Amino acid sequence: MMDSLLQGAGWAAFVEAGVRLGIPLVLAALGEMVSERAGVLNIGLEGSIIAGALGGALGALATGSAGVGVVAGAAAGVLVGLAFAIPVVWLNTDQIITGTAVTLLGLGGTAAIYSARFGATGTQLTLPTLEPIAIPLLSDIPVLGPAFFDLAPTAYLTFALAPLLAWFLFRTEWGLEVRAVGEDPDAAAAAGLPVRRLRLAAALFGTLLAGLAGAHLALAYTGTFAENMSAGRGFIAIAVVVLGRWRPWAVLVAGLFFGAASALQFLLQTLGWDVGYQLFLALPYILTLAALGGWVGRSRAPAALGLPWPRRH
Amino acid sequence: MRRTFGSVVALDDARLEVARGEVHALVGENGAGKTTLLSILAGHLTPDAGTIEIDGLAIPDRGWTTREAWDRGVGMVHQHFALVPRLTGEENLSLGVRRARGGWALPTDWIRRRVEAIREETGLDVDLRTPVEELSIGERQRLEIMKVLLRDPRILVLDEPTAVLAPSEVDGLLTLLRRLAGEGRAVLLVAHKLDEVLRVADRITVLRNGSTVLESDRSKVTARSVAEAMVGDAEALDTPERTEVRVGDIRARWLGRDDGTDLELRAGEIVGVAGVEGNGQRTLARALSGRELTIDGRVHLPEGVAYIPQDRGREGLIGSFDLTENVALGHHGDPDVRGGPGALFLRWSALTARTREMIHTFGIRTSGSRAAAGSLSGGNQQRLVVARELHGSPKLVVAENPTRGLDVAGARFVHDQLRRLRGADQAPAIVLVSTDLDEVLALSDRIYTLVRGRLTEVPAAERTREGVGARMLEASE
Amino acid sequence: MIRARWWGPFFGIGLALLVTSGALALGGYDVGEALAALWRGAFGSEQAIASFTLKRSVPLLLTGLAVALAFRAGIWNIGAEGQLYAGAVAGFTVGLIGGGLPSFVLVPMVLLASLAAGAAWATLPTLMKLKGGTNEVITTLLLNFVAINLTAWLIQGALQEPRGVYNESAPLPESAHLPILWSGTDLHVGFAVAVVLAVGLWIVFRFTRVGFLVRAIGEGPAAARITGQVRSNRIAAGVFLASGALAGLAGAVQVAGVDLKLYESLSPGWGYTAIAVALLARLNPLAVILTAIFFGALQAGAAGMQRAAGVPFAWVNVIEAIAVLGVLVAAREREAA
Repeated sequence: MMDSLLQGAGWAAFVEAGVRLGIPLVLAALGEMVSERAGVLNIGLEGSIIAGALGGALGALATGSAGVGVVAGAAAGVLVGLAFAIPVVWLNTDQIITGTAVTLLGLGGTAAIYSARFGATGTQLTLPTLEPIAIPLLSDIPVLGPAFFDLAPTAYLTFALAPLLAWFLFRTEWGLEVRAVGEDPDAAAAAGLPVRRLRLAAALFGTLLAGLAGAHLALAYTGTFAENMSAGRGFIAIAVVVLGRWRPWAVLVAGLFFGAASALQFLLQTLGWDVGYQLFLALPYILTLAALGGWVGRSRAPAALGLPWPRRH
Repeated sequence: MRRTFGSVVALDDARLEVARGEVHALVGENGAGKTTLLSILAGHLTPDAGTIEIDGLAIPDRGWTTREAWDRGVGMVHQHFALVPRLTGEENLSLGVRRARGGWALPTDWIRRRVEAIREETGLDVDLRTPVEELSIGERQRLEIMKVLLRDPRILVLDEPTAVLAPSEVDGLLTLLRRLAGEGRAVLLVAHKLDEVLRVADRITVLRNGSTVLESDRSKVTARSVAEAMVGDAEALDTPERTEVRVGDIRARWLGRDDGTDLELRAGEIVGVAGVEGNGQRTLARALSGRELTIDGRVHLPEGVAYIPQDRGREGLIGSFDLTENVALGHHGDPDVRGGPGALFLRWSALTARTREMIHTFGIRTSGSRAAAGSLSGGNQQRLVVARELHGSPKLVVAENPTRGLDVAGARFVHDQLRRLRGADQAPAIVLVSTDLDEVLALSDRIYTLVRGRLTEVPAAERTREGVGARMLEASE
Repeated sequence: MIRARWWGPFFGIGLALLVTSGALALGGYDVGEALAALWRGAFGSEQAIASFTLKRSVPLLLTGLAVALAFRAGIWNIGAEGQLYAGAVAGFTVGLIGGGLPSFVLVPMVLLASLAAGAAWATLPTLMKLKGGTNEVITTLLLNFVAINLTAWLIQGALQEPRGVYNESAPLPESAHLPILWSGTDLHVGFAVAVVLAVGLWIVFRFTRVGFLVRAIGEGPAAARITGQVRSNRIAAGVFLASGALAGLAGAVQVAGVDLKLYESLSPGWGYTAIAVALLARLNPLAVILTAIFFGALQAGAAGMQRAAGVPFAWVNVIEAIAVLGVLVAAREREAA
């Protein structure tokens, strides 16, 4: 009796944790998806996320309002994103290397700033947080309720973004232009599209969402800031986009799946399996690899992804 | 109009006047400046000097952009279609249109109505639903033209539209162009295939070396006078004598898609393979030269096969490597340039010497063996490729569209080299795979046609333009 | 591939120092004192040079070579981090098991094991790229995470130190330790090995046929295949595996030369920083020696700067990033005319 009660609690905790862990990933991944659809692969996303976290923290502390913090975080993400997007789109620098540099920039810069302002005290920062909003009725559903319907506003935003972006990409003219630019920028240019402006906008949108994800991490997920708290999520988001095949709904599911894999450790602990949870942490990555090699195969990535434009001949 | 690129004068005193309701042909050899002039008209390039006027309205001196060109009514149909492969026909049409009309939603209804209207007026039929990557070349071209027509341009500009079409499709296109002009638009057709142009044009402008040398009504010129204006001298038009020398035999059996055809190659002979683009030329050339053997072809090759690829910039040379390194690219297998234990090392001194000799012998204009290959002009690049490939007495030479993109002098150099090879001691067998029928006719001792991967030899009696041309159409749509 | 102008790296470094000085001034630090501390921390004494700067440069030198090699051939190996972990684990395990063997037998075995493990870790991305055309940026990136997690799993499980308390391994047997190169300091022979490999790689690129073909594949893949008749796939595979091997070696060298144990947080992201190291060197193996030492000096100096002037250590990443961005901007591709 007690056992099964515990098991019930274990599952609920697992689903809740899975969603909680997945939200920031989905948010960042949706942004990266738009960026990649336009042909820009941003592995400097990590820099934007951590900047968003610090920006969110500083904004919230300065004004006492977590809401302001969120805006500040998004702005910080875009700021760092500019250091990536402008060289890549306007100066045609290599996307991979620029992304690596921006990640270093973001991680180093935020750690340095944090250290300089707060490091001396040695105590953890406490931030004003985003309170979760429970949706009446729906949040009472067992297991799923608390997991999906009792979340911070930014989390709801994340869920709303999936259908929004699906509509944007496939039903609007601008979405078509973004996709065209990512598939064949030469043809798009010949059709009169402002290729670089579109790429810049898409890339910055990606960093905006990444900044939001970072702010969410600081203000909703943990309530504090710590150096390197982004913990590689920027890279993971890229994997999520691949697993989600650059389609909004699939990216949502893929991100939650990654979150679930991380949350497995809670479930396993409840079940008494204390050992080896890292194997399960590795699982989503292995699955993404399998997806890449198997049915996604010669993946339907945007054809011009990662390529500079204009090309030199 | 004047435009220079660095030290190269692309256009100098070029004039062009096109009237509404006429089909105007702009002709000239490769490198005469047609592309540059078009790029300026379309807004891709700004001229150094000169003006553009449309319907009496002069365009401001600061030059203009592609966007403005569109807005003012210049509709350009490029030679390489500006279509996004993965999107459908309809989506591609939307791309060009939205910017003009504004708004969020896809203008699907409007597009369909307009497409239907244009179809009624001109007979132009396009496939809207299929992703472009699945359409044939002819269908893609029609889509591209429709895309431009949707913008209701005042002047419709087509850049070498017949280059990619089969002879049967050309008729359809020319008829369409006449109809479009009949509607009151101005149609500007850029080409270098005279006979097609002369069939449909009302007026002709000839560009040579960047300047306009002839502007006239169609009725007042002959094919010959136009050709002379294009080339500048009558010499290039004569077909030279062909001598046959036979030394030994080489046999290559080419298995096309359906059944096998023996392609017999003999030393000291040029065999020409004529065909419309897209019938397997690349595969054939690669299989014959032993580069990237295909599954279908079984070829017995001698030692020492030279290959002059079609795309010299991408396949023949590495632009960022210097000339010596590019020579090494072809010769790294040669024991004479290897050294050290296990022949692991390359003897750069030997390679440099070799390169210098080539520069001298073949008259390559460059600052030296250390110059980047990308800095050479097209003609000089081809000289380098030819020099490199012909080194070391190959037994078989495969040349694939070797004069593509070259000017008259450059093309003549290549042709001279091939003829010289043919008449040399220990001459190789030479295969010329070319989509340029005139080139094939001028050089070849024997001719095959390549249609959908099948080779057929053309009997001596039919070795004329009409004869070979007719055979090229067999079994194609 | 990356045809950076020759003055690029200097521009980048100069820019970085400029920005650093500016930021320091803004932050209220004494710029002169800070920069002096930076210098002293890196080069101020024999210990500084050997035990800090040069020692810290070794993993960057090896991973930098790995990355430079791959990038030269047009292979985007972002997986040096994971390959490093693989090599570390393999090397450590061999060292642990062979503890009874004499040093001159065991050390080479450890290093060879790490080469094999690093190459093995690069095998899947290689196969996926060559057989399936799958983008290696993503596959190698994914495997980094797998490697780190697997290592953590092993350290908390099979390889955990005997008392089972800390997340680290048992100590590496002494016969597997790398001998010290510069007596009186912490600098181990790994440094010499790395330098020799760098020089060797340079010789290969400059003078051998294979090296030339690798360059050709990277700078003109179509021409290499068609004109050069190069068996691109084979060479690309070889380069990819060799790159993985070098990164793996970096892992074992760090374990056997410095850490002397297997820690969960073995690498602070060397595999990624290596990209910056390689780029700053314009992918030239000899120059990688210099840039790796430069990065090592930065790290050593930053530690000194923190001690002496209170400047946060993390700032060193910003310096590195700006330097790289400077080179990239200086090297930017020209528009097609």
